[in-house]
Amino acid sequence: MKKMLTLLLSAGLAATATQAISGPKEDLEKFRTHFEQRFPGIQLDDFGNGPYALDANKRLQWEDMEEFPPYDVYVDKGREIWETPFKNGKSFASCFGKDASKVRPKYPHWDKAAGKVVTLEGDINKCLKANGEKPFGWKKGKIAHLGAYLGYEARGKKLNVVIPNDPKALQAYEEGKRFFYAKRGQLNVACADCHVYYPGQRVRGQLLSTALGQPTHFPVFRAKWAKKGKGDGMGTLHRRYGGCNKQVRARPFKAQSKEYRNLEFFHTYMSNGLEINAPGYRE
Amino acid sequence: MKKLIAAFGLALLITGCNATTPEKPASKQAQYEAALKNAQAAVDKAASVGGEWRDIRWKKSKKKYLPSAIEAAKAGDYDKALKLLEIVQFQAEAGYKQAMAQKNAGPRF
Ligand code: HEC
Repeated sequence: MKKMLTLLLSAGLAATATQAISGPKEDLEKFRTHFEQRFPGIQLDDFGNGPYALDANKRLQWEDMEEFPPYDVYVDKGREIWETPFKNGKSFASCFGKDASKVRPKYPHWDKAAGKVVTLEGDINKCLKANGEKPFGWKKGKIAHLGAYLGYEARGKKLNVVIPNDPKALQAYEEGKRFFYAKRGQLNVACADCHVYYPGQRVRGQLLSTALGQPTHFPVFRAKWAKKGKGDGMGTLHRRYGGCNKQVRARPFKAQSKEYRNLEFFHTYMSNGLEINAPGYRE
Repeated sequence: MKKLIAAFGLALLITGCNATTPEKPASKQAQYEAALKNAQAAVDKAASVGGEWRDIRWKKSKKKYLPSAIEAAKAGDYDKALKLLEIVQFQAEAGYKQAMAQKNAGPRF
């Protein structure tokens, strides 16, 4: 009896251990297969075009818009921010390296020493503080302009989030995954319900995009965010997370909270291999 | 024995009377204070597992049930405050249960 118990126990332990180790990779394969089967006509990189990959009419309007994209001016502003020296004479290049095209593809990543997921926005403000400058706001404005420039410079490079085989990193990934699949708010809806199981359907007139490809084009210029009182149109990924939590009547978390950083870790990993096409334009 | 019954009757009368007199503001206030304490504890519990809903107290909510209840009580409207706290209590408990039920959420594929 005792033997059987230990046998069962060790079998159980072994099973969970291997699951934890091979988790992200298997998750990614299943995730991909789901979208490939659901939208067999869409090429991988085209998922990065969100709703415009799914609807021909919308795509035409969007392509018109992309001829004179409203985010251009913010890419220029971001370039200016990148190039303008701090009061101490240094600049963002002193934190990120001189080649602006290599910055965006490094994020998000696991920081072993700090034991947490590090985002581009987090490092932008860390750099400012380290140089005696005032940090930017987290969701819009300068942080999104600089992000737009760094995204633009990195266009064509592929997302490549690494989930190291470190229990803490795996835990952060698992937490992000759970966040994504958990129903929440008074409406009891998960991210996955809208962006995995029902993309292509409409919610309040908006065509739901696939979760695959969502992180490729942030920060984004959104017509809705350019309305009076909302800002200049530009916003970060965490701003969007907040909006999507709010609409199911869940209390949104703060931008750059642990919850959203872990979510970004999982969410971006799922789009590994897709080309960065930031900044994007959305309705 | 007779005496005892009389005493008992008297006691009944007194408590009975007590129950029918309209509640004084002080007791409504006590009821509110107890409900507030319960509701706050329930909200903290929901928040501790990431299950807090939008309209309980988030600053940009248009409803903000919890702060609204406190305001109503400050204005002396304990009935309104208690009604709002009932919503808070329900939503906080439901949000907690939801988060617990979704603790192992994952893909269906
Ligand atoms: C009730 C359905 C719903 C839920 C639940 C939901 N969203 Fe959304 N989301 C939308 C709609 C509608 C849009 C705008 C149309 C689009 O791009 O899909 C959107 C847009 C987005 C975008 C921008 C896509 C783009 O191409 O620019 C991201 C990123 C996103 N959601 C992530 C999430 C995450 C992460 C969650 C869970 C925290 C979530 N959403 C939950 C409905 C939802």
